[in-house]
Amino acid sequence: MPREYAVIMPGPGGDKILYRTSGFTEDSTCIRQPLSDGTFLLIAGTDDLEEENRVLKTRLEESLSANHAKDAFLSSMSHDIRTPMNAIIGMTALAGKHIDEKDRVVDALSKIETASDHLLSLINEVLDMSRINSGVSVLSEEAFSLSDLLHETLTIVKPLMEKKGHAFHTELGSILCEDLFGDTLRLRQIFVNIISNAAKYTPAGGQIDVSISEELSGDLCTLSFACRDNGIGMSKDFIARIFTPFERASTSTVSGIEGTGLGMSIVKRLIDMMHGTIGIESEEGKGTAVSIRIPLQVREAPAPSYRLNGTRLMIIEGDEELRDLYKTYLTDAGAEAVFAMSAQEAVSLFSDAEFSGSSYDAVLIGRSTGDSGSIFDIAGYLHKSHPQLPIVLVSEHNWETIEYQAGRSGISHFIPLPFFRKSLLRSLGTVLDSSAAEGTASSASIDLTGRNILLVEDNLINMEIASEILASTNAGITRAGNGQEALEAFEASAEGFFDLILMDIQMPVMDGYTATKRIRSLDRKDAGTVIILAMTANAFAEDIANARSAGMNGHLAKPIDIARLMTMLRQYLQ
Amino acid sequence: MQEYQNRYLKNAQEISAGQFEGYDELTALRHENSRLLEEYLFPVLDDLPSADAGVLQELSEFAAALMDRRFNLDCGLYILIHDALLSLYRIRKDRSGVIRELYALGMGHYYRNRMLNGLPDRMVSSFHFENEMIFTEGASYFKYFDTIGDDETKGYILRCLGNIAIATPDRKRRVAVSSRMLQIIQDDHYRRLAPSLPWDLYLRSTHQQMSSNRDVLSKGDLSSDELAAILESCHVVFEPEKAADDPNIRWLWPYYEMEYSLGLADLNMTLYRMRHLIESMPADHHDASGLYANVQLPIYYGRLLRGHPELKNRSEHVQFLADAYGKMIQCILSFPSGSIDDFFRYDLDLILYDYYETEGTPDFLSILNVLFSRIGGTVYARSVQTGQIMQTICRAIYDSDPSYFRHLPVFPEGTAPEETGDILADYAMQCGILQDIGLFGMHMDRLLYLREMFEDELPIYRLHTEAGHLILQEKPSTRLFADTALGHHSWYNGSGGWPDTYVRNGSNCRQMTDIAAIASFLEENRELDRDTLLSELFRYEGTRFSPLVTAYFGSNQMTDEVFAILSADPSAAPVS
Repeated sequence: MPREYAVIMPGPGGDKILYRTSGFTEDSTCIRQPLSDGTFLLIAGTDDLEEENRVLKTRLEESLSANHAKDAFLSSMSHDIRTPMNAIIGMTALAGKHIDEKDRVVDALSKIETASDHLLSLINEVLDMSRINSGVSVLSEEAFSLSDLLHETLTIVKPLMEKKGHAFHTELGSILCEDLFGDTLRLRQIFVNIISNAAKYTPAGGQIDVSISEELSGDLCTLSFACRDNGIGMSKDFIARIFTPFERASTSTVSGIEGTGLGMSIVKRLIDMMHGTIGIESEEGKGTAVSIRIPLQVREAPAPSYRLNGTRLMIIEGDEELRDLYKTYLTDAGAEAVFAMSAQEAVSLFSDAEFSGSSYDAVLIGRSTGDSGSIFDIAGYLHKSHPQLPIVLVSEHNWETIEYQAGRSGISHFIPLPFFRKSLLRSLGTVLDSSAAEGTASSASIDLTGRNILLVEDNLINMEIASEILASTNAGITRAGNGQEALEAFEASAEGFFDLILMDIQMPVMDGYTATKRIRSLDRKDAGTVIILAMTANAFAEDIANARSAGMNGHLAKPIDIARLMTMLRQYLQ
Repeated sequence: MQEYQNRYLKNAQEISAGQFEGYDELTALRHENSRLLEEYLFPVLDDLPSADAGVLQELSEFAAALMDRRFNLDCGLYILIHDALLSLYRIRKDRSGVIRELYALGMGHYYRNRMLNGLPDRMVSSFHFENEMIFTEGASYFKYFDTIGDDETKGYILRCLGNIAIATPDRKRRVAVSSRMLQIIQDDHYRRLAPSLPWDLYLRSTHQQMSSNRDVLSKGDLSSDELAAILESCHVVFEPEKAADDPNIRWLWPYYEMEYSLGLADLNMTLYRMRHLIESMPADHHDASGLYANVQLPIYYGRLLRGHPELKNRSEHVQFLADAYGKMIQCILSFPSGSIDDFFRYDLDLILYDYYETEGTPDFLSILNVLFSRIGGTVYARSVQTGQIMQTICRAIYDSDPSYFRHLPVFPEGTAPEETGDILADYAMQCGILQDIGLFGMHMDRLLYLREMFEDELPIYRLHTEAGHLILQEKPSTRLFADTALGHHSWYNGSGGWPDTYVRNGSNCRQMTDIAAIASFLEENRELDRDTLLSELFRYEGTRFSPLVTAYFGSNQMTDEVFAILSADPSAAPVS
């Protein structure tokens, strides 16, 4: 086999070398062979030229054929690839030239990010298409909740809607089965693709409506999904070609909208795989409606265990449609829903409740709160003033991205939007089940029957107040007037008898710190495990640290706040 | 008032006025204040349900003496007392008491939140929201206005309602609250229900509050009703001043500003008016109008230039701004030290956060050094010592490993090796001085030196690193010191530190930040003996502190020098 060769293209200015092996040198011994695409092969001198030329030519022909296929593909993709790459290269150079101008660099980075995202989606879709075409892609059958699926979908498309200032409305029709079997990943891909297209091909400030409904036949549920926009629309010609790879409406180029032209092809192939149908109606300049029907297997899910009957819920929600939904679902379930348009109104209602002796079992922070503060601020404030209440966030947010912050601000549960009857009641059931288990449903409902608390307090009035609060829990209460009495009471008790000690700090005879240290140092199993909470007005950060270093588990500010005391009891005893 | 309360107030006044001899006396005063609270106040709060009316009255009087509009001696203690009283009245189900304490607590939070002036919403929104909600709860009792017997309680409800507008950062809510307030105040029905209330004062204050929304006029997202309400209040507030022979500059400029926001005066006219107001005020006028013209207006002038980059090329504007800044500093530095109050401090904030440094104006670093050294008091003095410690550590590291600092962006190209050490020492000192500039910007001296800090003050204190970063990062001449201010309390290994989402300082100043973390730790714990302090330092080696730096500590000359610095009285620090 010849080791050194070159491929050349003859031209008016002489031969242009397209490729050559590293050791190739053109000299008088070279043999020139024409190839089918107009190029020539130059082979450096060898011994068995005829045979070697034949083999080499065959290989090159095969290679060129494959290259032609790739060229066709690249030709249709070239613009899509080059456009974002131009942006990335150009903006990188620009940022480098203006490295000291922060605004310019930030602007360039932002454009680079946009272009990179686009390029990534292009690559993903090309690979996806390739997998589907080659039959590598197989649908999975897994149990899923329709509510969760829609929530995930909306989480993904929401930023795009907000960016373009679209009015986005979701209409929930007849939902007969919320628990289904299907390939959620692919279903989500379909929904996201269609809604994203609507958002992309609708000028800023447009209207996009999504509706979902179901029809039931035996154990098969046909899911209908429709998305309607008032965007640029499509011609009839284009609708006929919309599922062909790399096709995009010509108007989209004019309006500068970028896309791979693969999305709808993928959607069509996936829907075909699911034995579903897709229909498109569109008119140029007026908008587009895409409707899908997909048959899915029904899944029987267990009914919620918790009965909402008799519960009272505060719901902060300004959206009228959602309020109606809450009202319908919750009233049917026997719960009372009290609505506030904003956190301010909620605070007002809570103050009413405080003086009327009523209470709430949970507070739901909804989508439209009409407040200046963020949902976390609202939750933080409510949690601080009503720590006994479960705070539930009902939102389109992606829970995973906000969970940490939500947890810190006191949000204990999350219900994804949109919700349906079953998903709402099930989620609320979980909230109230767990809060009932924790005893947090209302400050009066905590039941500590069988538990024993040692209450250490030298002030008679404080002792009386604390005893009165604790009496409502049905816990057994032993009183001690100072640290020494507390120590003696603990020593005299059977091991494990006391579950918790509420320890005043400033006391005659023996203070709370000393008593705690002495109890912790006793030679009995429960000395190290009994919960000891400081009750003190000492507010210095160092005091709190001292309480911990003395062996106390927590601290309760004085004068005692009933709600905060209950929260601590639940935290440590249940 | 009780003896301990008087004593506490006297100590607090002396600390605030800088009337102490050296750092040791300051520390003694601080310890005494903490002891007074521990021995006398906390036991009272501990047994508050059994306190009689006299004790509660004394507590209220004590709290009132801790805070007034002009000078807030101890906002934190004021809040603590009123929070306890609120809990008490909640237990007693005393509605009037609850309403009164909600108002007091809301005011406490409002004044304390002024420490957060200049910081971005993302950092402070939760503090403002809490404040807003406290007033909202107080205002929610308005529904009982007809049935509440005493006018005083009704007054607190109305003031809570009106004050929602000063607490909320939401401009639309501000407008809505003030509008509602104006309707109530002008409704004879309510006036008749509480005839002894100062209704006309409420009316004027609410119009003033509403007119302060004039900056939103140009935002374009207000309804016609909202626009009309603001313009109406502007008319009520400004027109009488405008017509006066000698209009008050504090009302005249807002009037001009409103005209600019409405497009009634163009930019050139507005700049001309502003120049005229600034030029017509002598630099040695230190009353409210003097500070307004000499400090606030130059800052606003700079804002306009910043917002209109095309003006940067017009030398007359930049030259005027440079002169106005010069006059501003002259005014600040000649301010009588005994008269420094909160208004002066908030004017100072404007300079720190909003100074516009551009080609042709004095560099911010020089101005900051002068202001900090003259007004920063003990915070400045301790920062200088931190700088000295940093210099000492840097010198030891540099002598041992000259390449350690090679990434610092402070060495001009072609720096001769013999000059490197001096440049490094200067940089270390300046980093040390400025690492706690956030404390100065947030007026933290009261938190730090009046008494031990309360648990609920820690979140505010912890913002000083971000505040410092903000002050330094925005101006070219101080940008080199910003990372050290941000990172000096963060954990070396990136696992903790104060900001919620902190990732260890990845800048090329990180070597200096690591040193600042150690130096500030040593300085802040100077009361510990040498062995304890060193063992604490080594305890955090590899987590909070860089092991590359702690390795230089031990029985050696550098450590001796560091502890010699720590043993000196920081109040002897040099003044620029």
